Amino acid sequence: MNPEDLKYHKEHTWVKVSGKKATIGITNYAQGALGDIVYIDLPELDSTVEANSEIGEIESTKATSSIISPVSGRVIEVNEELTESPEIINEDPYGKGWIAILEIADVFEMDDLMDASEYEKYVEEEKK
Amino acid sequence: MRLAILGAGPGGYVAAIKAAQLGAQVSVIEDTEVGGTCLNRGCIPTKTLLATTELLHKTKNIEEYGLEISGQIIPNLSKIMERKNKVVSIQVKGIRSLFKSWGINLIEGKGMILGPEKIEVKKKDGSTEIVGADKIIIATGSRPAQLPLFPFDGEHILSSDEALSIKSIPKSLIIIGAGVIGCEFAFIFSELGTDITILEIMPRAISLEDPEISEILERELKKKKIKLMTGIKITEAKGQHDGIHVYIEGGKELVAEKLLVSVGRAFNSDAIGLEAVGVQKGTKGDIVVNENLETNIGGIYAIGDVTGRLLYAHVASTQGKIAAKNVMGGNEKMDYGVVPYAIFTSPEIAAVGLKENQAIEKGIKVKTGHFQFRAIGKAHIMGEITGFVKFVSDETSDRILGVHIIGPHASDLIHEAAVAIKAGLKTKDIADTIHSHPTLSEAMMEAAEDVHGEAIHVPKK
Repeated sequence: MNPEDLKYHKEHTWVKVSGKKATIGITNYAQGALGDIVYIDLPELDSTVEANSEIGEIESTKATSSIISPVSGRVIEVNEELTESPEIINEDPYGKGWIAILEIADVFEMDDLMDASEYEKYVEEEKK
Repeated sequence: MRLAILGAGPGGYVAAIKAAQLGAQVSVIEDTEVGGTCLNRGCIPTKTLLATTELLHKTKNIEEYGLEISGQIIPNLSKIMERKNKVVSIQVKGIRSLFKSWGINLIEGKGMILGPEKIEVKKKDGSTEIVGADKIIIATGSRPAQLPLFPFDGEHILSSDEALSIKSIPKSLIIIGAGVIGCEFAFIFSELGTDITILEIMPRAISLEDPEISEILERELKKKKIKLMTGIKITEAKGQHDGIHVYIEGGKELVAEKLLVSVGRAFNSDAIGLEAVGVQKGTKGDIVVNENLETNIGGIYAIGDVTGRLLYAHVASTQGKIAAKNVMGGNEKMDYGVVPYAIFTSPEIAAVGLKENQAIEKGIKVKTGHFQFRAIGKAHIMGEITGFVKFVSDETSDRILGVHIIGPHASDLIHEAAVAIKAGLKTKDIADTIHSHPTLSEAMMEAAEDVHGEAIHVPKK
């Protein structure tokens, strides 16, 4: 299920904080809803992103969807492997399918996010 | 009626045939080859190359279709060019034989208007012929615009004309201008293995199109690893032994084997005698015409690119038919209201009518509908799922104002919308028309339905 050590955004992205670094990705629910992912437009390295704003796009065989950043910060790493093999996101959304690492601008933004159980309830609501 | 036409491009040759059909005695003066830019240096050769590179693209992904290839597929540029030349020459012969059948006199040489009823032709063999005419149609077209900083040299700095006859596939290519021509060439050469960087002064690629379409196209460029740099000003370009060096404002330097400059078109209105008869020109060297396509000098008409309106072969041909009818005593007016057009990138782009922002600027309350090709079966069958159809309609009357497509066969699909707009139809009319399954045209129906939130293959919003 959704890992306990992550925080979740209502646009179905997750963030894992370690010191000043935040790794972000899309949730298992998001990858399932999208279906087979065929392309990802990664955020630009070294760009500054705002929480709740679009940082990239994902294309699946049935939809295209924006990737909404759960936090603000500077992009210090992107998962280049996804360019060639975007299906990794389907296979391992919380692990090898991570999208980018940000240098966090404001740690207090984490307080606005959901924990795993809150997110689970949120998804149940969305499904209705 | 003796009619002389300067130029045998898609404007001139169509005008010639139409006038001949109406009983005129027609002479056409052409200094290169019948078919003009479109047939010899534009639409036809580029799309022929594209047919090759699209096939090449499919073969690169051939396993997706359950096929295996033992061995390699290698593009052979001289054979590719040979095929292109063959396709062009078939069309050229077609026009020449049409001329013959209608008794049109083709005079090969450079024409100069000496007076309203007199044209001098300098022929290729050095001789001169004077052509008498009761009326004249000028259809001299356009050529690649040159920037003073980077004049075409045929070696390092190429025009689109020259890019169509290169002898080897460049390892790297810088393209100035992310407009229609620049983007079309980018997709062609990229498929052949050229490393491409496009430099554009505007903030986005194909900046005249709907921004949503630019966004998809830019992503497709990215997928092909074509680099696009926008908002770029170039200060200098220098050919050196290792290729062409391009300097960008701010100090950055780029190097490539070749540079393609595709920054628009210049009008062929010089050295054809306009000054002698006093034909009025616009600020860009275009020939000014009225709705009947007549210039300020009675009996002298102008059509096609040289009139500086919409630089499309199909507009030139329409103008040609109208001018021919008017020469023969008609009173037809040119209507630019419904002009479909296509951009042959991968995927294709096509549009007709108003863009969303244009409609809003006119003060119209606008409603839009979108539909993605990836939501219909046919797109998956073909393996071409990128893109969408966008309808722009008048919220009050539901009339269709414009349709914009990026996706497979956009260039063919757009004509349903062209007919609908010309007939003043509503989005309901398209939505309620049965579209056969499985076809790409279902995307038209669903996008029309989406205007009212009624599309079937769209999740609940």
